[in-house]
Amino acid sequence: MKKRNIKELVIINIILLIPLILYGLFKNGYLLYTKNLVSLGEFFKPLYLTLISIGIKIIFDLIINHKILINYNLLYMILISMIMPYNINLIIYTITLSITYFLSTILESKIKFNKVCLIYLVIILVNSLFQSLTFLSPLESKYSFSFSFIDLLFGRSIGGISATSIFFSLLAYTLLINSYYYKKDIPLTINITYLILAFITYLITKDNSILLNSEIIFGSIFVAPLPKYSPYRKSKQILSSILIGLLTFVLSFLNPTLSIYLAIFIISLLPNLELLKKKTSK
Amino acid sequence: MKKLVKLEKPKDIFIDTEIKDFKDPQFIYLPCECNYKEGEYLYKNTFINDIVTSISGYVVKTEKLKCQNSITKCYKIANDYKENIKEKIQKKKCKNKDDLINYLEKFNLNNIITKISNKESIQNIVFSCIDEETYSFSEFMTLSNYFNEILETLNYLLNVFSLSKGIIATKNTFSSSIKNVKSILGTYPNILLRLIPDLYLISYEENLCDYLNILSKDTLILNGQEILDLYYALIKGKINNSVLLTISGNNVLKTMIVMTRTNTLAKEVIDKYIELKSNDYDIYINGLLRGYKENNECLITKDIHTIIINEKKTTIEEECINCGACQEICPFHINVLKCYLEKRSSKKCFNCGLCNYICPANIKLKEVVGMVNNEKKKH
Repeated sequence: MKKRNIKELVIINIILLIPLILYGLFKNGYLLYTKNLVSLGEFFKPLYLTLISIGIKIIFDLIINHKILINYNLLYMILISMIMPYNINLIIYTITLSITYFLSTILESKIKFNKVCLIYLVIILVNSLFQSLTFLSPLESKYSFSFSFIDLLFGRSIGGISATSIFFSLLAYTLLINSYYYKKDIPLTINITYLILAFITYLITKDNSILLNSEIIFGSIFVAPLPKYSPYRKSKQILSSILIGLLTFVLSFLNPTLSIYLAIFIISLLPNLELLKKKTSK
Repeated sequence: MKKLVKLEKPKDIFIDTEIKDFKDPQFIYLPCECNYKEGEYLYKNTFINDIVTSISGYVVKTEKLKCQNSITKCYKIANDYKENIKEKIQKKKCKNKDDLINYLEKFNLNNIITKISNKESIQNIVFSCIDEETYSFSEFMTLSNYFNEILETLNYLLNVFSLSKGIIATKNTFSSSIKNVKSILGTYPNILLRLIPDLYLISYEENLCDYLNILSKDTLILNGQEILDLYYALIKGKINNSVLLTISGNNVLKTMIVMTRTNTLAKEVIDKYIELKSNDYDIYINGLLRGYKENNECLITKDIHTIIINEKKTTIEEECINCGACQEICPFHINVLKCYLEKRSSKKCFNCGLCNYICPANIKLKEVVGMVNNEKKKH
């Protein structure tokens, strides 16, 4: 058992995200470029998003703290950049991310909510005001594919720009599972709940697309167990994960990619009700 | 059995396997509320409340010193190096439990007496030679250097309680001592050697008994210091005035094991034997996890087995990230974070220090959660 400090925990998480970012660069950069669907400049779009996120975080750190801090906010910013849809407008992304990051940091001291999900949902909402909401890359929107299970496992499914590789997500989970600092029961419970419901639906509708959703796996492994926004007691972790799984399943009929983040955000608001109840009883 | 963890240990600890004998301190300090006058003579082995004088000499003056984590008025006794004893205790062969308790009372071995009298019937005797803390080697050195004495004492106790076998429990990582032990153990067929995994808190009575598959309610567990105290009392008919002390830490060039007189000033022992890497250091008594921070002006009592001298390290307490590691690691499943936020202690807390150790934000959780037990200790 090794003791870690916050800085080390953040760095470990970021290291585990690197393979996913590289896969995102391959899927949404290299493949598109070799098929002449994007220019050389657009080749690096997944990387731009991550660098913009890190840049905004550094600027805010320098303004507020006068030094660069390696804390959980850095991880949040990287996560946000990874779950963005391919067609996100970089200018809208930069402006909205800066504003929502600033506002959510202020709001965080008053209300409990999952910062990653809130920023993500706001950016998606703003972006959809200017262009239609789609998670398809130019390749996916041009051709229709029939992917096998192995294709989907390695990340050929539709989703966030760097969040589609189920294989790398599961690999990260197997590495994180031994840590005392990682809430391993949350991803497990979310996925079990979701898969039970999805399997029942599959038996009824015979539609298997609902079964393997890379976004749910990524969201449940990296976003749902973020320490600050999830309960620390095991019983509450399991309860909130079941609720997230249920809500994800329901919302996946509206939008399978957004569902997990919307569910995590809604469930992360629940502790406020508890606090409100405590305040009123006092 | 509770979920136990293996602690990460530094690999570069150099131990001097030879025990240094510090039997002639210049002064000892007696923490007691008595009315001794300056110049008054005190014999060795004089009982003053719960304390026994470990040398003979004259009262020099009174000083306020730290003893067992609280400041106490102490009588400073200057050693006359004569070892004068007023009256010797008559050695007696004990035949049963009551006999043993009565005899041990003469030696003021209250800890052992309480342990024995708390058990309705004793069916197992275990010598727990397990050092829990990272830098502690006192138990290991007791086993390595006093093995014949341990066997003799255990055999004596087995006869007193009419038991057929006793157990010596040691860590399976103590390979050198195990080798020595095995070569002599054959002469005592009634004593078994059991190897225990190197897990933190395994020597805690409940955990050890669970591991050894024996009932804790009828098991007498003794540590190295207690076994040596018993050896002196039962076999030699003398009072043991010495403490086997480990002096280690990352600011120490070589870990030393010193046999020192009780109520000696830690500073005197450190100055004599320890070579320090830097003069900027922190002292921890009895380990980094379960122990407490102290300065070198503290007294060495029988409760002290380890002095850790670590380089001064300033850790900044950060905001809690709600990771729940403190609760996950707590062997007693205490809601550590809730206790900390509500600034209340838990009666269940064993002061194991794992919550402090694991916290990535360096929050001193033990100081709040284990407050009740800390207060108890002080009193």
